[in-house]
Amino acid sequence: MENKPHRDTIFSEQAQILSHQACAGEQYILRVAAPKCAANALPGSFAHIKVAPALLLRRPISIMRTSATEGWVEFLYKAVGEGTRLLATRQPGEMLDMLGPIGTAFKFESGRSRPLLIGGGVGMPPMIFAAQQLRGNDLFKPLAILGSEVPFPFRPRPSRILIPAMPDGVIACMPLLDDWGIPCRLASQQGYAGCYQGFVTDLARDWLNTLDREQLNQVEIFACGPHPMLAAVAMLAAELDLPCQVSLEEYMACGVGGCAGCVVPVKTGATSQAMKRVCVDGPVFDARQVFF
Amino acid sequence: MSATTTDSPLAIDFCGLHFANPLVLLSGCVGFGEEYTRVEGFSNRDAGAICLKGTTLEPRLGNQPHRVYETPDGMLNSIGLQNPGVGIVVDEILPTLDFSETRFIANVSGSTVEEYEQVTRRFDNSPIDAIEINISCPNVKQGGVAFGNDPQMSARVVEACRRATNKPLITKLSPNQTDIAANAKHCIEAGSDAFSVINTLMGMAIDIESRRPIIGNNQGGLSGPAIKPVALLKVHQVYQVCKAHGIPIIGQGGVNSAEDALEFIIAGATAVGVGTALFYDPLICHKINSGIAAYLGKHKLQSIMQLTGSLRLNEPPKAHCGC
Repeated sequence: MENKPHRDTIFSEQAQILSHQACAGEQYILRVAAPKCAANALPGSFAHIKVAPALLLRRPISIMRTSATEGWVEFLYKAVGEGTRLLATRQPGEMLDMLGPIGTAFKFESGRSRPLLIGGGVGMPPMIFAAQQLRGNDLFKPLAILGSEVPFPFRPRPSRILIPAMPDGVIACMPLLDDWGIPCRLASQQGYAGCYQGFVTDLARDWLNTLDREQLNQVEIFACGPHPMLAAVAMLAAELDLPCQVSLEEYMACGVGGCAGCVVPVKTGATSQAMKRVCVDGPVFDARQVFF
Repeated sequence: MSATTTDSPLAIDFCGLHFANPLVLLSGCVGFGEEYTRVEGFSNRDAGAICLKGTTLEPRLGNQPHRVYETPDGMLNSIGLQNPGVGIVVDEILPTLDFSETRFIANVSGSTVEEYEQVTRRFDNSPIDAIEINISCPNVKQGGVAFGNDPQMSARVVEACRRATNKPLITKLSPNQTDIAANAKHCIEAGSDAFSVINTLMGMAIDIESRRPIIGNNQGGLSGPAIKPVALLKVHQVYQVCKAHGIPIIGQGGVNSAEDALEFIIAGATAVGVGTALFYDPLICHKINSGIAAYLGKHKLQSIMQLTGSLRLNEPPKAHCGC
């Protein structure tokens, strides 16, 4: 094991489904018993799940939150393809063959005290996990902005946390984050009550524009969501000269770095590029390296 | 280690190399040998040998995404030989591998015959145990399967690599050719010590909404259980050429269980490749090895090597058709 710290960091577990809740818009919240994954996962980590015997390959699913003490891992996913549709049919009590946790995590190490967490659609889970990690940490004053164009997979409610400089009427939040003391606001173009009418990046921009340079220097953006959203987030970050980490997805086969099937082009120098694996080199990347 | 050492029923002799068991983790599936050790419960010792990612003279970026896509009972891939170049592989990666755990096989590729020779020569001066010549990659424009589908060109590549090394040379054959056995014969004459049979079958998947191929490179190589019957037949055909020369085959294509592995061995394989199956079951080697051991016990066989090529073909009917 000397000089091989990567060894034995991903766990193969037969994870019993503890609950599997269907939400609007074909979204599902899945909780499984997977104590090793729960004890080792970090925001950004995913699990590679054998969803059903009928499909050969596993499906990578982002982790939304964990309880290391209770040994469970929770996911939020949307049924968009054959794999996730089959996963949606799995019932509490059944076992899922699961590998995890996998992948690099979001790093809160820049010394910036104001993490801005931006999650869109099924990109919300890593942001919720990040909020869980930042919860109760006095060093950070995070703000989460979550967006969805289908009904949110939770019942939004007016926030109990005042956020200075939020547009009037933008009061809806994710209750879980609110209960954790993490300021949160929601965005959608669907006219949901209390939500910002527009994209998450528009709301983020409105809020960032109220900050002075000294305050901006404390902001770092963390984002996960559809590719166009991430591109817009990366552009916003570049415009305001803010560091930004994004979590990507790609079709995946092995999920452990063996096949190089899930790569994305990454800028490695002024004119140089490399292909990096989303599974183990990512899924979290510096936005400047992947949007250029 | 002595070529005759077979300390367990599962151990094999492969071109004078001792493999602790007949399983070979296939090139392109296990990176450069350390990737799967991330998984708790997996050990490189579970495989008789590990074949490293295809390596060229210079670094290659490989193909654009998407590179992989699931198909019925299989998958398409088009990686495009992404690798850091042989210099980095020999100088920086090989020193990190633990050669006491298993045998490591290099996989050599190139756009020209000269490139194959140069890469082989670089590996010759390294601790690598054997060298696999990839003349069957379906995912590059030059070299690869373009060489492998032409028996004369296949032989030229093998000859060039033979000049560059005395290490065991394994030629990886493509199923995308008319007469695989004839090609194997040319490669034996050119100096091939062994064969890998088969590489992937060329295939395509289409997004009917965008009307574009799903794979970034438009086409890819099909692997997984879907190709096993094709692979078995090819192993059987190549074995007919190899058996007189005592040349071993790594049978591969959709191996998913001990039963699959045994089929390949009965068809003529000495070793059995495991690739796509690792993607859905990283701990599958344990299961395959224990299943093979149970079969040997049941059939009172002392060694897995007794089973190679033991296929008993059905005889054609002797009576004339009366219709």
